Amino acid sequence: MVKFGIEFVPKEAYWKTVYYAVQSEKRGFDNLWITDHYNNRNVYVTLAATAIYTKKIIFGPGVTNPYLVNPVMTAQSLASLDEMAPGRVVLGMGAGDKTTLASTGIEAKKQLSAVVDAITIFKAMLDGKSVTYEGKVFQVKGTKFNFKPRGQIPVYIGAQGPKMLATAGKIGDGVLINASHPKDIDYAVGQIKMGVNEAGKNLADIDVTAYTSFSVHKKPEKATKAASPVVAFIVAGSPNVILERHGIDLDKANEIRGALKKGDFGGAFGSVSPDMIEAFSIAGTPDVCIQKITRLLKAGITQFVVGSPIGPNARKSIDLISEQVIPHFKE
Amino acid sequence: MDYPKIVKMIPVEKRGAISEKLLNYVLKSKKEKKLTSGMAQCFLLQWQTSTFDNEVGLAVLLETAAVLELEKTTEFLEQECQLAEVAKALKETIA
Repeated sequence: MVKFGIEFVPKEAYWKTVYYAVQSEKRGFDNLWITDHYNNRNVYVTLAATAIYTKKIIFGPGVTNPYLVNPVMTAQSLASLDEMAPGRVVLGMGAGDKTTLASTGIEAKKQLSAVVDAITIFKAMLDGKSVTYEGKVFQVKGTKFNFKPRGQIPVYIGAQGPKMLATAGKIGDGVLINASHPKDIDYAVGQIKMGVNEAGKNLADIDVTAYTSFSVHKKPEKATKAASPVVAFIVAGSPNVILERHGIDLDKANEIRGALKKGDFGGAFGSVSPDMIEAFSIAGTPDVCIQKITRLLKAGITQFVVGSPIGPNARKSIDLISEQVIPHFKE
Repeated sequence: MDYPKIVKMIPVEKRGAISEKLLNYVLKSKKEKKLTSGMAQCFLLQWQTSTFDNEVGLAVLLETAAVLELEKTTEFLEQECQLAEVAKALKETIA
């Protein structure tokens, strides 16, 4: 049965994010992902508070990156969280956003190697033994915790490109695919399968997760209006090859890029077209969302993540998803 | 007057709608720094263990909303809910 996850960006005071986390647990979500960006509230502070106020939802950073947070510290944070919420913690690890990292003075070099190194170190540290590892990007020498971690924690890899997707299939327990359209999921599953085969595993061993931009409301125009800002940023950040895959007019995409660069958010959001909404979000009434989630399930996902913006009013949209969307797949 | 007593002044049939509205005020408030850590914990503990539309929950919510968004809260109680006495009691309590 498909799992439902939800993503929150900790951009507001911790108690608001935790309010939504508790609401999500009460309303039947299985997984909770908190994004990790230096310019928002700290992900581990938010997750620790979440651990205190929830009792069954599975949660973790979705996703952190090894450049800004050293993998040893990520292992320490997750092992500590696993003591607070035994068996409910997962790791989401990705390469990070190059532009955001650049603003902190970090050059995100050798992204694939960095993620592989980080996960190798993470897993070894959770074994509780002394770790020595010579990776291409990260090295540790005789590194050991002064406490015994509870054990291994499932690792999800945030992936979009073909190599990262295959690597996720090879070494991950799950893959977080930043996509909302079956074309992108189809492509991703194909790449994941290659990694899975190489490792001698089965695709069923991997939690194939669609990390979507989602917006639901009983009035479709309200749902799409709420999705437009997120879609504008996705379009601006997408390589042309992905835009072309969805038949997006590159001139229009450039208009959005230009408007965002100038800080003309109204112009950028207003230039988002229905085909962009269709390609890069799941937005609409509960029935429309059900149809679109069904298409992703057919493409091979095992977890569906409701990502930003969730809807025009997050609290009401979470209730709507719980009442009208999740039951369609779980009852 | 304390908050549980103010809640008792609110007709039972109006409590659900009031709870809905106040939650929106609280969650959309940009005056987050006004909330003490103790109040934030009280708010979350209530939500973790119960809801905000019963007597205890509405008292917690009313206090939280009054701290964060007093003007909006009292205006809503006076104008939309026709509960001028409740709004007055709330203003006096928070003063």
